[in-house]
Amino acid sequence: MSSQRYALFPGCLMPTEQYAYELSLRASLPLLGIDLVDLPGLSCCGEPMKSVNQTLTLYLSARNLALAEQQGLPFYVPCPQCHLSLHETNLILQKNPAMLERINEMLKAEGLHYTGTTRLVHTIDLLYDTIGLDIIKKHVTNPLTGMKLVVHYGCHAIRPKELGRPDDSENPQKVEAILKTLGAEPITHYPQKLDCCGAPLLPNKPETALAKTGQKLQAIQELGASGVVDVCPWCHKMLDSRQTKAGETVAAKLDLPIVYLTQLLGVALGVDKEKLGFTLNLSPVHKLGLRSQP
Amino acid sequence: MTITDLTSMGEPQADARAEINDRLKRLQDHASDYCYQCAKCTSGCEAHKLLELEPHKIVALLKRGLITELVNSDVIWTCMTCMKCRERCPQQVAPIEILFAAKNLAVQSGKELPGKYTAMLQSILGTGLLQEVQTVTTAANATMTRDQLGLPPLSVPSDVAKFQASIMAIAMQKP
Ligand code: SF4
Ligand code: SF4
Repeated sequence: MSSQRYALFPGCLMPTEQYAYELSLRASLPLLGIDLVDLPGLSCCGEPMKSVNQTLTLYLSARNLALAEQQGLPFYVPCPQCHLSLHETNLILQKNPAMLERINEMLKAEGLHYTGTTRLVHTIDLLYDTIGLDIIKKHVTNPLTGMKLVVHYGCHAIRPKELGRPDDSENPQKVEAILKTLGAEPITHYPQKLDCCGAPLLPNKPETALAKTGQKLQAIQELGASGVVDVCPWCHKMLDSRQTKAGETVAAKLDLPIVYLTQLLGVALGVDKEKLGFTLNLSPVHKLGLRSQP
Repeated sequence: MTITDLTSMGEPQADARAEINDRLKRLQDHASDYCYQCAKCTSGCEAHKLLELEPHKIVALLKRGLITELVNSDVIWTCMTCMKCRERCPQQVAPIEILFAAKNLAVQSGKELPGKYTAMLQSILGTGLLQEVQTVTTAANATMTRDQLGLPPLSVPSDVAKFQASIMAIAMQKP
């Protein structure tokens, strides 16, 4: 298997606190032929500032894309929010020469230039479309047998479809397909599947944000799922780290294991559990009965 | 005060309406004029389920040119950016983008930023990222840092002064 090089775009939340995502993708993707390259000089993608100043978002996204262009590498963007922001910036600057010129004028200060040639992937399409299920299957040594998992896609990974999302907006199934390849038995549909985790309200209405999380998790718990799989550091922060608090908002005792897709991928590929950050999950992941080797 | 109360007051402001529409056109293809008030956006709106946001009324305010009402309303800050309204609108209108434009205008007009936005902006200015690197707690209550976990050093802007100057310049300009 020939290896493919990708520059990693960590974003803000993953490299400053959601370490389980970063640890598990760094430990598992190389086994599937993905070489991750760390770039210096990166910053926030700007998406969280879109409410404050959209030009700032465009500038920050273009700035990071320009840094990837310098290396001539595609960007692997594990955070769906960053992925959306970078992608939307590409589309806007493609259609808008005046804005493109203005952004490039500003980028000169740091010796950067943006042309918009950087290809982007998120975890979902990297695994499903770039690597492919056949290759993944060949590398599974420790299948996730018997696990009835629910997938929480979050919003930015699937909407809006016109902005090149990694999976379908109304019936996403790629993560379920990946989980089946890893040996699990995903629950492919449930009524709250397309609902938000609540995280975008954190800066402004933290209590309401938690209520949103609580409502969704309560519904999933009633389905009888073994656990929830996510692909976004923001969603994970809500579903995993804040689960107990979220439960209080709906007067429910929530007790659901929440794991990153890349953590389960690592387990199925035979990576030592120690290297996948499971000690950092605050939800009861022990209930999944994961073992490092078969 | 709810948006319904707001629509019954106020004078249409043609200039401000044109400015928002201009801004939307620069950023995307959607035009609020095509909205026929079916409220499909509101039926799926995540913020509507918990708060008072009704995206079809946001579009109505813009169509009628009631921009001061739109920009001054606190409800524009409750959008959860789930993008269901943009995804599902049969007329390719994007209420979420109108909300972004309205929030940008509110900031530009000197309204105080709600919640944690100021802290987030300051953090980006100072470090390039939304927050500083955090020490986390494990399920067994031990504390861990990025270094202790064996992760490589954070990637951050190499010339912070130049990076800050660009951001400040954007903050001063008209978007
Ligand atoms: S914005 Fe679209 S979905 Fe919402 S009321 Fe108007 S036409 Fe209907
Ligand atoms: S993006 Fe905002 S306005 Fe649109 S449906 Fe979601 S919460 Fe409602």
